[in-house]
Amino acid sequence: MSLSRRGLFASTGGGIVLGVAGGYAAARATDGGPDHPDWIDLQRSFEFYTGDHQAGIATPPQRHCVFMTFDIVDGTTTTDLQVLLAKWSAGIAQLMAGLPVGSVQPDRAGAVPDDTGEAYDLGPAGLTVTLGLGPGVFDKRFGLASKRPKRLAPLPALPSDTLRPELTGGDLMLQACADDPQVAYHAIRDLARMARGVAHTRWTVMGFGRASAGAGQSTPRNLQGFKDGTRNIKEPADLDEFAWVGPGDDVDWMTGGSYLVSRKIRMDIETWDGDDVADQQRVIGRSKIEGAPLSGTKEHDKPDFHATTDGEPTIAQTSHVALAASENNNGLKILRRGYNYTDGLNDLGLLDAGLLFIGFMKDPQQFITLQEKLGRSDLLNEYIAHIGSALFAVPPAPRRGHYLAEALFVR
Amino acid sequence: MRNALTASVSLLALGALAACGSEDKADAKAGGAAQVNVTMTSGGNGDQCAYDTTEVPAGPVTFHVKNQSATGITEFEVLDGERIIGEKENVVTGLPEVTLTLTLGGGEYTLYCPAAATEKTQLKVTGQAAKATGSTAELLQKGAAEYGTYVSGQLDDMVVAVKALQTAVEAGDLGKARQAYADARPFYEKVETDIEGFMLPGGDPSDPSSSLDYLIDMRQSSLDPKLGWSGFHAVERDLFGARRITAKTEKYAADLTKNVTTLAGVAKGLTYKPEDLANGAAGLLEEVQSNKISGEEEAFSHTDLADFADNVEGARQAFEALRPGLTKLDASLVATIDHRFAAVDKLLKGYEDDSQIGGYRLWTEALRKKDAPRVSQPVQALADALGGIAEKVATA
Repeated sequence: MSLSRRGLFASTGGGIVLGVAGGYAAARATDGGPDHPDWIDLQRSFEFYTGDHQAGIATPPQRHCVFMTFDIVDGTTTTDLQVLLAKWSAGIAQLMAGLPVGSVQPDRAGAVPDDTGEAYDLGPAGLTVTLGLGPGVFDKRFGLASKRPKRLAPLPALPSDTLRPELTGGDLMLQACADDPQVAYHAIRDLARMARGVAHTRWTVMGFGRASAGAGQSTPRNLQGFKDGTRNIKEPADLDEFAWVGPGDDVDWMTGGSYLVSRKIRMDIETWDGDDVADQQRVIGRSKIEGAPLSGTKEHDKPDFHATTDGEPTIAQTSHVALAASENNNGLKILRRGYNYTDGLNDLGLLDAGLLFIGFMKDPQQFITLQEKLGRSDLLNEYIAHIGSALFAVPPAPRRGHYLAEALFVR
Repeated sequence: MRNALTASVSLLALGALAACGSEDKADAKAGGAAQVNVTMTSGGNGDQCAYDTTEVPAGPVTFHVKNQSATGITEFEVLDGERIIGEKENVVTGLPEVTLTLTLGGGEYTLYCPAAATEKTQLKVTGQAAKATGSTAELLQKGAAEYGTYVSGQLDDMVVAVKALQTAVEAGDLGKARQAYADARPFYEKVETDIEGFMLPGGDPSDPSSSLDYLIDMRQSSLDPKLGWSGFHAVERDLFGARRITAKTEKYAADLTKNVTTLAGVAKGLTYKPEDLANGAAGLLEEVQSNKISGEEEAFSHTDLADFADNVEGARQAFEALRPGLTKLDASLVATIDHRFAAVDKLLKGYEDDSQIGGYRLWTEALRKKDAPRVSQPVQALADALGGIAEKVATA
């Protein structure tokens, strides 16, 4: 019998494992099991060829995610780009089905393996790979300017931006999320290899631990120890209103697509850890364990921004929750799908970690509006810095027999 | 590390599509070619390659290859025995049909669809057998022979150059010795993957002191403390690090001359197979990636970019020797490699600096930190493409 990693993790066979957070909850509640919202099935796979939205957007966030952007190499032709997108699409379909891309062990001794092999026994692990197109795809290099999505332009400078140029932008983007980090990493590795000579790596973030909740999931915590994503949008009606590009909203080929804003947000971990709990709760606007708004007692209580305590707002007006709440932004919402990250230690020997914010929206102005406000006055800014940033147009998923963004190449 | 003389390497179907769907199948039809439609689909039993016929008359045959939905298949090949006689890469779902026209004599051929549920299908060609021409193989052999002459020439020049280095060192002329060092390095860098692994006659393979590669090109990272420094980089350390010539430097230079002369003796007159050239070229690019861009090779003189340029030049010589035969085998791969050589050349041009020994900007730690990522990726792209040659030329 060969002992696979899956075998090591599996608790009841069938490749089913209980995630860390779920394990804790289940241990306390004694009602864990396949019905638990955080139960993970490593044999679960998602369909790539939906012909509708790409997977990895409304998909309830998996445990791990690798995000990478690419620059298209000088001298790349429109045909090269077309072939890359077609090859990536076929490759992604294979990977999401838990299959290798080409041979892991070719039967000819002189052949170089196409697939790097490290995910061979790991199953699909709920992998989704989501493609985005940066503004550079529509510059003068490829003759695609007339197809540029209406809202696709580099994000403007925003208050409190501390961006590092090497962590910004990119012509192409891949987001690979899975319940096994090795499956996510393998996908990015194979796809980056496939792109070599046409698109080269620009910046990447290895995300661990989802930091937002999707449909049916319990709310996870980010590295500040607070629940993140309690009020994330999950319902189809909200997604239609705020996340998906609808018919007539944008250029035709983007219908069913979205825009992705990514921000690498460094947290000053040690400083935050030394802050007293009352101040931490004031900064966020919620209680630490329950995640209840300071105006309520339960996580999902609706925040009351008019409540006062001793004549002061119970939820500080510049708390993160108050500034970001749709009630205070003319109903504005976005779909968040962030992950925690760490880069080890920084030059000062301090923990280098934070949040990879990933947000999906039908118009990047939704993010710009919110971040102009947050960047200006969020109490949280004392403990965080936005160091990376990029915007991508996320095309809809192809139907079988087609490939991502095929419409760009149809004359 | 690829072993240039034994290993053989193979093809990645990476970005080699020169003209997607642009070949004119009408021409083939006008010439009265037989037609074979190859359709790739995905089904319950995995990815399939289907052929509308597997028997055609001898003469020109045009394959129309269309990948309708088989995500696991990206290429199609026609084999005569084990020999690839025609292939199309980047046959990907969603892209237009591509065509491949071959002139086939009577006999059995294999249609090969890598990663399909059934990978190999026999094609029967009826009629007169083709004359055995072997022209592609002949072209490749001719190139390999020419390359052998090139390597011999480099080895002769290397002996002369290290003697000049020894003379300058013995004269105690630091400036002249530094220049002589830089003048001698290219001959080694251009052919290093062809000559690595050579031992002193009667040497023990497990003993670095009998490895000519160690004795000539060892550096800090391969230092065996018991044996100590020797060779090019021992001289480099004294000339560029300590900046003075001692009796030890003189010994290093004299030993270098002796060992290079021995190497030239054992390595000259070697014959090469086409796949040796291909592996050697890919290996030189691996050298660039692992030792030059890292700044490890010329840790004291910082002339890594000159070595880089020489490794690239050596790879180009090997590739050019294979070009006539390789063009017949896979013209689109040749075009891809040309494109990638051009990208690397352009990159290197940006660092030219005639005021420096070696002719390039010094690859200092600061410059390396700033520029290594943009330098390394075009090199890897070229290395990947060169890595695709060996298997093709080995089976030709």
